[in-house]
Parts: sequence; C-alpha cells; structure tokens
Amino acid sequence: MAIIDDVRSIIAKSLNIPVDQLTPDKRLDELGAESLDVIEIVFALEEKYDIAIPLQANDATRVSASGKIDGKTEDKSEGQDKSGNSELPFSTVGDVAEMVEKLVAAKASK
Amino acid sequence: MNRVVITGIGVVTPIGNTRDAFWSALVEARSGIGPITIIPTERLNTRIAAQVLDFKPGDHFDPKREGLLDRFAQFAVVAARSALRDSGLELTEEIALDAATIIGNSTGGMNTLDDSFLRLYSQNGTRAHPLSIPRLMSNAACSAISMDLGLKGPTYTIASACSSGTHAIGQAFQMVRTGQAPIALTGGTEACLTVGTFKGWEALRVLSSDTCRPFSRTRSGLVLGEGASMFVLETREHAIARGAPIYAELLGFGMSADAGDITAIDPSGAARAMRAALKDGKVNPDDVDYVNAHGTGTVLNDKGETIALRHAFGDAADHLAVSSSKGVLGHSLGAAGAVELAATALALHHQIIPPTANFEEADPDCDLDYVPNTARNAPIKNAMSSSFAFGGLNAVLVLGRA
Repeated sequence: MAIIDDVRSIIAKSLNIPVDQLTPDKRLDELGAESLDVIEIVFALEEKYDIAIPLQANDATRVSASGKIDGKTEDKSEGQDKSGNSELPFSTVGDVAEMVEKLVAAKASK
Repeated sequence: MNRVVITGIGVVTPIGNTRDAFWSALVEARSGIGPITIIPTERLNTRIAAQVLDFKPGDHFDPKREGLLDRFAQFAVVAARSALRDSGLELTEEIALDAATIIGNSTGGMNTLDDSFLRLYSQNGTRAHPLSIPRLMSNAACSAISMDLGLKGPTYTIASACSSGTHAIGQAFQMVRTGQAPIALTGGTEACLTVGTFKGWEALRVLSSDTCRPFSRTRSGLVLGEGASMFVLETREHAIARGAPIYAELLGFGMSADAGDITAIDPSGAARAMRAALKDGKVNPDDVDYVNAHGTGTVLNDKGETIALRHAFGDAADHLAVSSSKGVLGHSLGAAGAVELAATALALHHQIIPPTANFEEADPDCDLDYVPNTARNAPIKNAMSSSFAFGGLNAVLVLGRA
C-alpha cells in the first residue's frame, strides 16, 4: 500500500470522511480537522511507520480549524506567521503524505 | 451568611516553600522553570519543568510516616502545616471537630503509580508495595492533612483537572460562609512529574520546548509544574475577635461547564464563570483592579481567555491589570488554582501586582494589560483568580482587600 493511501485512510477514519474525497490538494483545516484530530492523525502515522513527526506545541493549532474561537476563524493567509514559529510541517493531505515519505526514506537510509 | 477571610497561607512551590520566598520570586519574575532533574529523562523529549527542588521529605516526616505518603500528599501536609502556623489559629477540640478539609488535586499519587507499573510491567516484578493503594488514592492528600492536623469535619478531594484547586477553595469558602464548618483548611496539590505524565503531555503537543510565555506573541506552549498551596479560611468575625492577620476576603465564587470541546477553552463558558463569581460577590466589573489569569502560554488558551475577559468585563477590561503566574510557577495542574490564589491574596495584601514573566512582545490577539515582566505598585480593591480545565470545567474566585 502506498504511503498516500495510508495517509488518506488514517485521515478518513479520524475525520469520518469518505476516503475518496481526500484528494492530495485538500487542506486539513478545510476538512474540519480540529487540533486534537491533527494530533491523533500524527500519532497514528508515527505508530504505523515508527517515525517522529516534528509537530511543535503551536503547530497543531495552526494546522487545524480550531484556532476558531467564538466563531471567528484565525487568519491563515500564506506567509503570515503570527506566532513567530517556523514553517508549518504540512497543511494539505498531500503535504502529510510527502512528509511521511521523507521521514520513512530518511529512516531507511540510516 | 458569614463573611469569609484568608488568615493563613502555606506554599510548597518551585520558587520556594515559604510565603516570603514565594512572593519575592513572583514579584521579581524569577522563574522556577529549569532542566528536569527529578526523574530520568532518557525517554523524554521534554527538557524543562517547574520542579520543587528544595524539598527533603525527611525534614518533615519520620521514616514510617514518610513511607505512607506519596510526594503529592507530602507537599499537601507541609503546606497545610505552614498555613495553620501562619494563621496562628489554636485548634480547639470544638473547632477541630467541625473543621473542613477540602483539597483539589487532578490526579493522585502519580509517582507511586508510575513506580508500581514500572516494577510490574517492565521489571517483571511479582508484587506491588503493600502501601501502594493508600499512597496513590486521590484522597490521600486530604486524608493526610486531616490526620496530621487532627481536622475531623467534612473532608474530601475535588478533582476537576486544572480547576481542582479553585473548585476546592470555592467549596470550602461556601462551607464557612454558610456555617457548615467554623474553619476550613483548603487548597490544591499536585506532584505528577513522572515519565508517564510527560509522555502523555508530549503526545498532546502542547508543551513548550524553552519556557512559558503567557500572553506573549512568541508563546510556545505550557510547561508542567508541581507544588501545593494551602489556606486557612475562617469567618471575618472570628479572625477579628482573635486578632488574626487577614490577607484577603473571599467575596464570590463562580463555576460553569462549557459542554463543548474537551481541551480547547470556550470563551463564553469561561466568561460565564467570571460573571457568576462577580455576581456572587456583588462586585461590579469596574471595581476589579487585578486578574490573576489562567494564562497557560498556549496559543489557544491565552487568546480565548482574553476574549472571555472582554466578554465578562466589557469596557472595564481596558482598565484591568491581568497577569499570569505560570511563567514563574509552570502549570501545576490541580494545584495551579491554589498557588495562583496565594499570588492573588498576596497581591491584595501587599497592594502589588505581580508581573507576567517571560513576556517578549505583544500579540494582536491578546490586547489587554498583562503587566509584562515588572511588578507594579497599584491600589487593588478587588481581584479575581481564574482556572479553566480540560473537560470544559471553569472555576473563578473573587477576592477583596482585607
């Protein structure tokens, strides 16, 4: 099974969305992922591939739509980094798969 | 209804185990956060915590007694003894028989639990220590205080995660207020800096890798802590009659549940608890000068709490001084509300607002006066202390100058 298929099926299960809707260009926040969903997805992938995904304290909040407080959605415009942190490790389904592929390859080459 | 005052404060914290040491570190924004040294760190990604380093159980307990008490109960007893000594209250048989002991802790004897599981599951141990259960039970701390001081009235533990301490003190306040108990020994305690606890928090990905910077744009998450703070509550009449020192008066207590997200703060739920506390204390938002915030240092909490303060205080929010003590104390979970109430009561007592430590730069999402890094002399008539817990449980106390 290709990594992208695993990623899609894990996200589908976590967000309760049919897997065929999870095309690589779909953004996790637009799919309704909240920060705990992002954390669970990352955990499932770490367990499956025995890798460590670099997701820092604030990243899960920034990836997800749960920056939404009181009906106001956080500004997620590109290039704006409100909390002064590094680039987000991923924002779309395809990004997640690409990141996992890199980490798996890096592990294999060790 | 009785008026209820705080006449004794005891602390065991990462910044000191006396009231004076605690207060001066808070005022000077000297952080108790540092490298983890009390447990093995090989398996941890986290490198920092706010640990109680200056604590030798043997200084406080004989060996037999020490063996009965997990670290969280040891903290609780030592802080309770300090609070009682500080109050100067003589525990007559009449008072002791009805005295309440209401303690908040979010877990129980986590060190005992962690050690037992390590032995059983990892080291193929065949038996647990015979005192494992009495050491780890969640009520071990309140029972230990009751036994140590001879307090024989209503005694139990309240567990509501990060609101435990505030809920416990609020409950004790009600008991003295209504006359159910003549005095109360109350507060919060927590000692859960174990490998298992850190792994659980690491998995939630809310821990900061450097330090805790509440309300700062550069905040990067929370830092786990431990400690205890205990209080003697009694009626104002009783305190005045015996010439006791009064740190502050407890005026109002408010609670709410978000009934929503399990981890994220809900500003409307938090604001409801704040308003309930103000209403209970018959205090106008305009008459509050200082709020000791929950301020964990996560992106979501600090932004949501700011919105909640604006909801609850309206235009008066622009005149509020708001600070979080977690840059200095870390987040001691079930003890947090209690150590922060000590900070709030001492702020009223000294008429000094302790600062928000580690503050670097303003965040457009956090647009209140957070008293960054430097304490402020300011008249404080009334103050608020807030706790918001996982599971959506909010508890808020309002205090007045003695």
